[in-house]
Amino acid sequence: MSADEILRMFCSAGLSEQKAAETMKNQNLRKRFITILNEAAKHKSLSECGMLYYHIASKLKPVHEKHIPFLVTYIAEKKLDNTQRLDAALQYLSSNLKDNVDVKAFEEYCGIGIIITADEIEQVIEECIEKYKNTIIKERYKFNVGIILQEVRNKLKWADGRIVKNEVDLQILNLIGVKTEEDVVSSIKKDKGNKSNIRKILGPIENNSNECNLSVSDVMKKLDFHKPGQNTITEGYIITENTERLLEEHLKITGGKVRTRFPPEPNGILHIGHAKAININFGYAAAHDGICFLRYDDTNPEKEEEKFFIGIREMVEWLGYRPYKITHSSDYFDKLYELALVLIKKGLAYVCHQNQKEIKGFNPPPSPWRDRPVTENLILFEDMRKGLIDEGQATLRMKITLKEGKQDPIAYRIKFSPHPRTGNKWCIYPTYDYTHCICDSLENITHSLCTKEFQSRRPTYYWLCNALNIYCPVQWEYGRLNMNYTVVSKRKILKLIENGIVRNWDDPRLFTLTALRRRGFPPEAINRFCAKMGVTGAQVVVDPQMVESEVRNILNDTAPRTMVVTEPLKVCIINFKEINITETIDVVNFPNNPERGSHKISFGNVIFIEKSDYKSEPDKNYRRLSLNQSVGLRYAGITISVINEIFDNDEIIELQVKAQPVNALIKPKAFIHWVSNTKLVQIRMYERLFNHKNPDDINEVKEGYLSDINPNSLQIMEGFADKSLETVPFQCFQFERIGFFCVDPDTTNSLLIFNRTVTLKEDSGKN
Amino acid sequence: MSQNSVEQILENQEKEFCSLQEQFKSIIAQLENKNTENEGILQALEAQNIKLKHRIAVLIESIEEEKAKRIEKTKCDVNDAVNISSLISPRTILTVAFVKAVAFVYPNIPSSVVTLVPTTNSKFGDYQCNAAMPIYQQLKSSDSKITLQSVAQNILKEFDGGEVVEKVEIANAGFINIWLNKNFLCSKINILVNQGCIPPPIKKRLKIVVDFSSPNVAKEMHVGHLRSTIIGDSICRILEYLGHDVLRLNHIGDWGTQFGMLIAHLQDMYPNYLTESPSVDNLQRFYKESKIRFDTDEEFKKRAYDCVVKLQSFNQDYLQAWKLICVASRKGVNVVERGESFYQKKMITLIQELNDKGFLEDDEGRKILWGSESKEDIPFTIVKSDGGFTYDTSDLAAFKHRIEEEKADWIIYVTDEGQGTHFQIMQNCARRIGFYDPTKVRVDFVGFGVVLGLKRSQEKLKEKNRQSVLTEKELDEAAESIAYGCIKYADLSHNRNHVYLFSFDKMLEDKGNTAVYLLYAYTRIKSISRSIQLNEDAIIRASKEKVVELNHEKEWKLAKVLLQFYDIIERITKDLYMHRLCEYLYEVATTFSEFYDNCYCIKRDAEGQIQEVHMDRIILCEATAVVIKKCFDILGIKALSRM
Repeated sequence: MSADEILRMFCSAGLSEQKAAETMKNQNLRKRFITILNEAAKHKSLSECGMLYYHIASKLKPVHEKHIPFLVTYIAEKKLDNTQRLDAALQYLSSNLKDNVDVKAFEEYCGIGIIITADEIEQVIEECIEKYKNTIIKERYKFNVGIILQEVRNKLKWADGRIVKNEVDLQILNLIGVKTEEDVVSSIKKDKGNKSNIRKILGPIENNSNECNLSVSDVMKKLDFHKPGQNTITEGYIITENTERLLEEHLKITGGKVRTRFPPEPNGILHIGHAKAININFGYAAAHDGICFLRYDDTNPEKEEEKFFIGIREMVEWLGYRPYKITHSSDYFDKLYELALVLIKKGLAYVCHQNQKEIKGFNPPPSPWRDRPVTENLILFEDMRKGLIDEGQATLRMKITLKEGKQDPIAYRIKFSPHPRTGNKWCIYPTYDYTHCICDSLENITHSLCTKEFQSRRPTYYWLCNALNIYCPVQWEYGRLNMNYTVVSKRKILKLIENGIVRNWDDPRLFTLTALRRRGFPPEAINRFCAKMGVTGAQVVVDPQMVESEVRNILNDTAPRTMVVTEPLKVCIINFKEINITETIDVVNFPNNPERGSHKISFGNVIFIEKSDYKSEPDKNYRRLSLNQSVGLRYAGITISVINEIFDNDEIIELQVKAQPVNALIKPKAFIHWVSNTKLVQIRMYERLFNHKNPDDINEVKEGYLSDINPNSLQIMEGFADKSLETVPFQCFQFERIGFFCVDPDTTNSLLIFNRTVTLKEDSGKN
Repeated sequence: MSQNSVEQILENQEKEFCSLQEQFKSIIAQLENKNTENEGILQALEAQNIKLKHRIAVLIESIEEEKAKRIEKTKCDVNDAVNISSLISPRTILTVAFVKAVAFVYPNIPSSVVTLVPTTNSKFGDYQCNAAMPIYQQLKSSDSKITLQSVAQNILKEFDGGEVVEKVEIANAGFINIWLNKNFLCSKINILVNQGCIPPPIKKRLKIVVDFSSPNVAKEMHVGHLRSTIIGDSICRILEYLGHDVLRLNHIGDWGTQFGMLIAHLQDMYPNYLTESPSVDNLQRFYKESKIRFDTDEEFKKRAYDCVVKLQSFNQDYLQAWKLICVASRKGVNVVERGESFYQKKMITLIQELNDKGFLEDDEGRKILWGSESKEDIPFTIVKSDGGFTYDTSDLAAFKHRIEEEKADWIIYVTDEGQGTHFQIMQNCARRIGFYDPTKVRVDFVGFGVVLGLKRSQEKLKEKNRQSVLTEKELDEAAESIAYGCIKYADLSHNRNHVYLFSFDKMLEDKGNTAVYLLYAYTRIKSISRSIQLNEDAIIRASKEKVVELNHEKEWKLAKVLLQFYDIIERITKDLYMHRLCEYLYEVATTFSEFYDNCYCIKRDAEGQIQEVHMDRIILCEATAVVIKKCFDILGIKALSRM
C-alpha cells in the first residue's frame, strides 16, 4: 500500500487529516492501525466505528495483539460501543492473560448488552441534585459537580459520560440559573489561590472536615491500589511474555498478601516527611493484613553510620510499627552483581568511561562506549570489581534511553570506601536506579510506594525488571510532605548543629522524628496528622500548626495536669493559720474525667505565683491579681488579696496577702495556678526556629537559612513545680494555664527539665 | 637627661611595644590560619588514606581470588592432562607435576604445551620437558624481559616431582632434564611381577557402546568387515581391561534396498515360500543373481523398492520373507546383533518427533533433516519419496536409542574412513534435535582405511620346523595362535587410518614388527626361568623378598620401557589408535633383546652348569613377560609359553 492509500484509509476511518498524518509517523501505531482496519474491513463498519478502532490501536498492549480480531468483532457488532466499554475490555484482557477469553466474564465485565435510556439518566440525576440542592444553591458554581457525576456513575455504570455531564449541567442551570459576574470572579480567585496546591487524588481521600478523624488504617483501606497479583491492570505497567508466569510465582510466594517496604537510606535521621512514608507503607500493609519490610537502602558506603541504622529502627517502632523483617540492600549485593553480569551478557549494560561532568546536563552526548563488545564489558566490569580501575574512571551503565531524555542511567560506580556491612568485599556499589527495583522484586513487594520525585525513575524500574526477566512490582507515587518554617535536609541540619544553633539532631526545634519525640509529640498525633494529609499525588506543604493541633488533641486526653510556675513571684499568706486549710490538697489529673485519678500537692503560708499574674495597676479588663483585685487559687478553694508589696529596688519581689475561703459571696474573677512546696525545674520554651516559611528559599531569605534564625526560638526559664512531682523522661504534662510540657531526657536527680511541647492554644505561639 | 627626652624614649618604647604586639598578633593569626589550613589538609589526607586502605584490601582480596582460580584451573588442567588418574607411570607423574607448575606460573597457557619425552642420551637424564620453548614463544611479544632460561626456572620453582625424581637440570634452550629416582623405578618393577599388570584406577565406570563390524546381512562379508571387527574388538578389550562397562554392538544392514531386492527375487524363485520354507543355502549366489536383475531390469528394481516399503511397514508376508533370508545369512559373530529392523519402531517415533518439532523439510517428496540451521552440510534423508527409510534414519534412531535407552557415556563407531562425514552429520543432527550433548556423551568415530589385495600364503606356517620341540597340543595351539594372531596383529600394527596391503608373507615374517616375532620373544623370555626350573610362583615370591637393583644401563632402560605401558594405555583411550600398542610391544621386545644380549641372567660354565643366577634379572624378565602378555590379551592374541 502506498503512503497515500494508507492516509486515505485512515481518513475514511474518521481521522482528521492532521491526526492521520501523525499516525503515519508513528511506525508501531500505523502498523497496528492498518492491521485493525483490515480486520474491520471484514465487517463493513468502518465509518461509524473508526474512532473506536483508533482507540484500540493506540491503547492496546503488544501482548494483546492476538485479540485484535476478537475486539474488532465486538466493536463492529456494536457490542463495545463506546470508549468506556472499550477501556473496560482492554482492562479485562490485561487482568486475564490467558489466550482464550472467557466470553461470558468478558461481556459481563464490559457491560455488554446493558442499555441505559436517557430517561433513566435524567431520573438518577434528579435524585442526586435533590440531595445536594441546598449546598448547590449556597455555593452556586463553586459546587464540585464531580460529586454528582461520581454518584451517577456508581448508580449507572455504563451511562454515556457525555450525556450524563450535559444532563447534570442542564439541571444545575435550571436550579440556579446562568453564571453571574460574581460567579466568574470568585472562581478565578479560587483558581489563582489554589494553583500551587492542586491535589490530584489517587485515592478517594480528601482532607474533608467530615473525614477529619480517620485513622491511618481507614485511609489506607480506601486507597484504590491494585490487588496483589493484579499488577497488569495498573496503568503503565509493562506486560511481557513472562509476566503471567512471574506473577503466578510471585503469588505462590506471597500467598496473595500485600507486601510493602519502607526503604530509607541510613545516612541521616528520619524527619516528619518520613513519617508519612512509614505510615503509608506500614499502614497500607497493616490495613490489608499484609507485611512490610524495613529495608535499609545502604548502597552508598560513604554516608552510612551505625547510629543511623539504630535511629531509624527506633523511630519506626516509636510510631508503633513492627517491621516484618529488617533487610538491607547490601544483603543482595551478590545477587545484584550476578544480575549485572546477566545484563551485560544480554548486551543491555556496558562499561563507560565518560566522567560525571560529561554525563550531566539536559542533553549529554551519547557514550562512545555504548556498543563495545560483551566480552570487553565483562572483563572491564571484573576489573572494576577487583579494584583495578580508579574511582570515577569507569561506570556500568544500562542501555535504556528514557523519554525524559535521561540516557543510560548508571548501575554501578567505583567507590573505594569500606561498607559498614560488607567491609572490604566490594569497591563497586550499585545505584538507586539499579538496586531499588531489583530489591523490591527479590522481596516480592506488591506495592512499591514512593514519593512523586521518583515518578521519572519508573520507566527504568519497569525496564530493568523486565530486562532481567524477574517479577516486576508496581510503583505507586504519592506527594511529598513538606513542613514550613523548618529545614529537614541532613546537610542543613548538620550546619545548624555545627554553628551551635541547635544542640543536636534531636533538638526539639527541629522536625526530625527524634526531635519531635523529645519535644513530646505523641506518635499517635503524628500518625493522625499523616492520615489527615492523605495519600495524594501532589506535594503537600503545611504549617507546623497542623501537626501541633493534632498534638493538642491527643495530649488533652493523655497528659495529666499539674501546676508549675515558670516565673515565680513569692506570696506570703499572712493569715494562713486563721483560714484553717489542709496542708495537702488533692488535685485531679483530668478535670473532665475525675475517675482517672488525682495527685496530692502541698499548701503552706508561702506560695509562688506567676509574675505575670500580678499587676499593681491594671487596666479595666484585667481579671487577675492586683492591688485592688483578689484572685482565686486553683484547687485550694481560697482567694487572696494583696496587703503589701515588697520591693527590691524597683522590682516587686514579694507580696503579702490575706486569704479567704471562696464562697458564694466572694467569687474571684479568675483562678490562677501556684506552687507552695517547691522543686526547682528548668523549663525550655521553644518557638519556631526560623522566621520565614521557606528559610532555605533564596527568594524568601536572601542570606540563606542560617541568617533566618528566630533569636527567641529557645528560652530557658527556671521555675517551680510541686516537690512531689515525679517524672520519667518523655512523660507529658499539661501545666495548668501554660501549655503542654514533656520531660527532657537531660533531666537529672537534682534538676528536672521540661520542654514545651505546644502551647495550650494555637495562636499564643505566634507572638 | 631631660624630662623631655625620657618621655621621648618612653613614647618610642611604647610605640615599639605596640608595633611588636601588632606583629605578635598577626603571627598568631597566621599560625591559626595555618592551623586550620593544616586541619583541612589533614582531613583530606585522612579521607584519602581510608580510600587507599580500602583499595589495598580489595586488591589483596582480588589477588587471593586470582590465586584460588589458578589453583582451581591447575586442578582442571591436571585432570585434562591425565584421563585416568593413573600414577603408576613415571612419565604420567612427571607430566602432571609439570602441568601443575605451568598452570600455576602461566595460567593463560594451555596445559597442552607440556610435553615430556624420553631422552635419547642418558647424559641428559631419563626424560626431558620441553614446555619452556612454546611458552617463551607465546609470551615474548608481550614481555620483553622474558628469556627461555627464566621460563624454565619459573616452572622449576613450582615443580614438585616427589619421589619419582632424582634430580632436575636446566639444559640449553630451556630444556628441563629429569633423572628418575632409582628406588621408585625398582619398586614398580617388583610390583609388576608380584601384582601383575593391574589396571590403573578409573574415575568413573563408564557405559560404553562400541559399534563395529556392520556388514550388510545380504552382502558378502569381506576383509574390510574383518578390520572393523579386529579394531573394534581390541578397543573393547582395552576398555574392559580398564574396568568400563562395554557393550559391543553390531549394527547390521538388514532392512534396506538389498533386502527388497532379495525378497523380490525370493518371491520369483519360491512363489510359495510362505507355506513351504525354501532353503536358501547359498546366499552369496542368491545375492549375486538378484543383484544382476536389479541392475538390469527396471521393472524388478521398482518391485524391489516396493518390497522395502512393504517390509518397513511390517507387512506380514514380507516380514516372513525377511526372516527366511536372515536365517540363511547369520553367522556366529560374538557380538550383540541389532539389525536395522530392531530400530524400525524407533525410527517411526523419531520421525514423529522430528515432524512435531518441525525439523523436517520437504525436498521433492523426500523428507530431509539438516545438521545445522545454516544448511551448509549434506542433509540426512529421513524418509524417501516412496515412504521408505534409509541408513540415515536408522543410524540416527540407533544413536538416539544408545544415548537415551542404553544410557551410554561414550559411543564408539568403528567403520571405514569413508563414513566419517556421515557420522559427523549424524552428530550435528542429533545435537540440533537436542538428544545429544557433546559435553555429556563422548562420541568417537574410529575410521580405518580399506584393505587392499589379498595374497594367500599358508605355507609360511610350516616353514619353521618346530614339531620337534613342541607337543602335539602345543603345536596345534601354536598354529592357531599364529594364524589368528598374525592377521590381527598385522591389522592392528598399522595406523588404522592408513590403507594397507594385506599380505600374509609380510605378516608371517619372524623378524620385524610382526606377531610371530613377538610371540617368539615371549616364549624366549618364558624359557629363561623354565631352563632353571623356576616356576612363576617362585619368581613372584622372590620379587616380594628382593628389590631389583637395575644397576646395569640396559636393565634401567628396560625397566623404563616397561612402565611406559601405562602411558600407552592412556594415550589409546584418548585417540583409540591401537597400533600404538603394537609399536610399544615391539619396543619392549627389542629393548628386552638388548638387555638379554648384554646381561647374563644365568651364568653357565663351559659344561652348561649353572654358575650364577641373577635373581633380580629373572624378576625383570618376568616383569617383561607380564607386560607383553597383557598387550597380547588386549590385542586378542593368545600368548604361548612355548612354540
